[in-house]
Amino acid sequence: MTDTSMRTGLQQGVSAQSPTAAPTRRRRPLDERGKWWRFVVVLIVTIIAIVPIVSVLYLSLQPGLGSSATGLTLENFGLVFSQTQISYWLENSLLVTLVTVVISVAVAAPAGYVLSRVRSRLVSSYSLVLFVVQSLPVVTAVIPLFILFSGLGLVDNLGGVIIVYVGSTLSVATWMLAAYYDSIPISLEEAAWMDGLSVFGSFLRVVLRNSLPGILSTAIFSFLLSWNDYLVAVVFLRSDVNYTLPVGLETFFQQNATNWGLVMAVAVIMMLPPVILFAALNKYFSVGGIGGALAGR
Amino acid sequence: MSAVSEGIERARRGVGAGGSGRTTPRRRRRPTGGGLTLLLFALPSLILLLLINLYPLVYAAMQSVRSGNLINLGPFVGLANYRNVLTDPDFWHSALFTLIFTVTGVFGSWAVGLALAMLLRGKVPAGGVFKVLLLLPWVVPVVVSATSWNWLVATPQSPLPEFFSLLGFDNVLFLSDPTLAKIVVCVFKVWISFPFMMMMMSSALTAVDVNVYEAAKVDGATGWQSFRSITMPLISRSTYISWILMTIFCVNDFPTIYLLTGGGPTNATTSLVVLAYRTVFQDFQTGPGVAIAFLMTAVLVIVSVVLYRQIAKVNIE
Amino acid sequence: MAAPNPRPALSRRGFLGFAGAAGIATAGVLTGCNRAASTGGSSGGEKPLKFWNMPWGNTQFTTLDKKITTSYKPASGLNPASYQTIQWANFTQTFASAVASNTGPAVSSGGGTQAFQFEAQGKIAYADDLLNSWKSNGLYDDFLPGLIDTMKVDKGYAAIPYNLDMRVLWYNTKLLDQAGVEPPKTWDDFDKVCAALKQKGIYGYGTMAGAGAYTGSHTLVSWMINNGGGLFNAGHEPEMVTDVNIEAINFVLDCVKKGYVDPHSVSYTSDNAQSQWKAHKFGMGFDTAGLANNIGGTVGPELTIGSPLTSPSGKKGALYFPNNIMMYTNTPNQKSSEAFLTYYYKNMAPLWTSNTGIGLPPLKSITEKTGFRKDKNAVKAIEEWQPISKTWAAPGSNSLFLGVTTVDGTPAMDTFTQSILGGKVTAKQALSTLQDTVAKAIKAQG
Repeated sequence: MTDTSMRTGLQQGVSAQSPTAAPTRRRRPLDERGKWWRFVVVLIVTIIAIVPIVSVLYLSLQPGLGSSATGLTLENFGLVFSQTQISYWLENSLLVTLVTVVISVAVAAPAGYVLSRVRSRLVSSYSLVLFVVQSLPVVTAVIPLFILFSGLGLVDNLGGVIIVYVGSTLSVATWMLAAYYDSIPISLEEAAWMDGLSVFGSFLRVVLRNSLPGILSTAIFSFLLSWNDYLVAVVFLRSDVNYTLPVGLETFFQQNATNWGLVMAVAVIMMLPPVILFAALNKYFSVGGIGGALAGR
Repeated sequence: MSAVSEGIERARRGVGAGGSGRTTPRRRRRPTGGGLTLLLFALPSLILLLLINLYPLVYAAMQSVRSGNLINLGPFVGLANYRNVLTDPDFWHSALFTLIFTVTGVFGSWAVGLALAMLLRGKVPAGGVFKVLLLLPWVVPVVVSATSWNWLVATPQSPLPEFFSLLGFDNVLFLSDPTLAKIVVCVFKVWISFPFMMMMMSSALTAVDVNVYEAAKVDGATGWQSFRSITMPLISRSTYISWILMTIFCVNDFPTIYLLTGGGPTNATTSLVVLAYRTVFQDFQTGPGVAIAFLMTAVLVIVSVVLYRQIAKVNIE
Repeated sequence: MAAPNPRPALSRRGFLGFAGAAGIATAGVLTGCNRAASTGGSSGGEKPLKFWNMPWGNTQFTTLDKKITTSYKPASGLNPASYQTIQWANFTQTFASAVASNTGPAVSSGGGTQAFQFEAQGKIAYADDLLNSWKSNGLYDDFLPGLIDTMKVDKGYAAIPYNLDMRVLWYNTKLLDQAGVEPPKTWDDFDKVCAALKQKGIYGYGTMAGAGAYTGSHTLVSWMINNGGGLFNAGHEPEMVTDVNIEAINFVLDCVKKGYVDPHSVSYTSDNAQSQWKAHKFGMGFDTAGLANNIGGTVGPELTIGSPLTSPSGKKGALYFPNNIMMYTNTPNQKSSEAFLTYYYKNMAPLWTSNTGIGLPPLKSITEKTGFRKDKNAVKAIEEWQPISKTWAAPGSNSLFLGVTTVDGTPAMDTFTQSILGGKVTAKQALSTLQDTVAKAIKAQG
């Protein structure tokens, strides 16, 4: 297989994310035909798909044990805010997630550039290693990581959790970004080099500037991973003021009883930030970009 | 050359969507010091990889050839753990379920995701709202969605069994019958994963120029024909990639199964990762448990490499 | 900002430095350092010893327990105590990783058989000296009969009994009245009550064996112990294929075949089972002594603990779990660990008298307090069930040992239970499989 054939493939797989792509402008009246038929089908599928989510909302509005309220009530939300440290958990979760996103993009962006632009045995075996470590289940890694981190004072510390999350998003983030870079013609950089820019300069001004959709996709992928994790956080975080939301959620699961109203209220609070984020960034987020990088190596 | 095949050819070259078409990479001299810059680019990720991923990997490899527990590594036993695991019928039983779970998870979510992506590709009233709503199953934490699914199916008074008894199927044992429990777990996984596939496929489809379909239509191609001969070849690469990623996600998926059924009834829904977890943290046999995880990973890597080769083939064609 | 406690504040600050280095120290981050302290009792200059407790009850439990711990004023030269709640989720991982890295607690509760696990690995400080010192201050004699002995291993006492989790027979008085039957006293009665309830479409053998629900397994072992059987012989070896065990399991298989057991039970979580009690679908069954309180509402008050059944062998018995508190070798000062526990046991009574949802108390003096005696069901559990209850080690012995970890919530035990409740196996088959698996697991422990 030649370099050229690979790159052509890459080009094609990711062209949707290419900043120059604007398929919507090309739409023809073909789209108009059957739009109500499609609407009905999508509506039915959507309704079925969100039944479990609507039931979470419904359960969060149910009065709890021993409550005087009847019908639907917001008292679970009141209780969650008045009786738990949820404002800290929310803040910790946002903090952990945002820092994870920033660091994993910051680490993966240059690494992805190397994967995209350098063709050598060393780089492709590095790519394979990324892939293999990604395949090992997290549950086997928690204890050795804890032992390692406790020596470094990173236990019950949000920084420790962030490092683990960055590590687990690293492979996919690197691939995703490499795929985006593949869609940027190298001639742009070459032109920049002729203008006297260094490799770093051209990476910063030419490549990164044109990779916003790729960076956003990577960011949202990392966001979801660190936002939803509890397997790692529940072992690493001890003090209730250091909990993230998923660990805080676990505090409602007691020995013999669980207060489902409160669990569901926390769940609804947990759902909001990602939903808002998705709604805002929906059009930029496409995981398809991972493809190119994987295929090219 | 017919219009259809020409359209395919054009689209395949990426002309339709990206506009730029083929770019031939030509090596130009990098500015001096470029090599060092690239090394520094790779360094942070290399350090993190060694620290976070490689250390536990080596530690786990050691555990798998020793007879220890959660606290001590224990004495070296060679490949005894692997031998014991491979001769244990429970392992093969779990391997079979992992296969079922992964195959239905991957292809089920792919089929649903692709269908929705194709529907939402055209103009649909309130399409943006649907796109966000349909992402929710992927966004909601599994702890919560497992609870909500349990609430929907577990007892005879739960909504879904009530609905089925209205249809004339009384007392359906959704989670208590081994076969039905397997199906419910697989459906649950498809439900969680289809949004991811929908996004993968949406972005792949945006690369296909709508003009190609017009041309095919003029050529007399039916909907199915143009799907087979235009759409499928164009999204095949993204499809293989999404299969690889979803295979990894399915095989490694611990919470989905564990939170819904705990692996029961009578181990019917115990996948390899659940078996590994239970062997390590409930039976406290780290050696065999980690050996299971390693065998699983080995097969996963082999399967992925095979799919990976498929992608390479697609590129050559 | 005046946080009296150094630990979390320190790590928090350490984190802020980290975040700052990453260049994202926004105003929102900085407000984060104004956190309430989560540990306390830092009087004196000594480093606090870590006490980790589980959320044994509702949120009031944790609040009250923390208050008891942080009110501890150590004698001079001894260490104060810090309090930490450990979530039930993944707690095995939490303890194992902490102990392996020497960052674990000095004193903790935990899983019921955890002490025996850590004892085998040399991480436990034996409680012999502490228990000896309690002989002079009356605490030792205050324990319910037979309780302290359950913690004895070859080298000493691995832990101290803390709260008791029991499996008792519950029935719904209203439903039994409607069915026109008296509460059962023997296995035959049990069968008759089930049959009468079945006429009304109610299950008489309410149980659960789904994700994380071990009551189903506990109940099966309870039936065996009730008939004079159990899982282990006096030599701590698994000996399960006995006539009394087979008789007990056959009785359960009969109940399954006659439709007394909800066919969904194999997948029920404790919440599913509770909703069946609430829906008047369960009329009788085995559960923890706190069931009525957990269910509450209108159905909770209808539930009553029955008396232990008399088995065909003429014996009585049930399975119970003495949850315990253990001391670790990794302590700043063993004397401080012991002094703290003496204080804790003398002052822990409010945990059982203010509706915290914890299991039953280990001390006679607490069971005599009016706050405790308000709960008629709890009193019945202590007076009628505790004296006849035995541990996992039954019938061979009463003291727990490392081998019982192979049956306590293990996959083998789950499979055994789900196969029995599925009704498609014979008692002998299922017991033989279980015995083989457990024997193998014990051998692997070395």
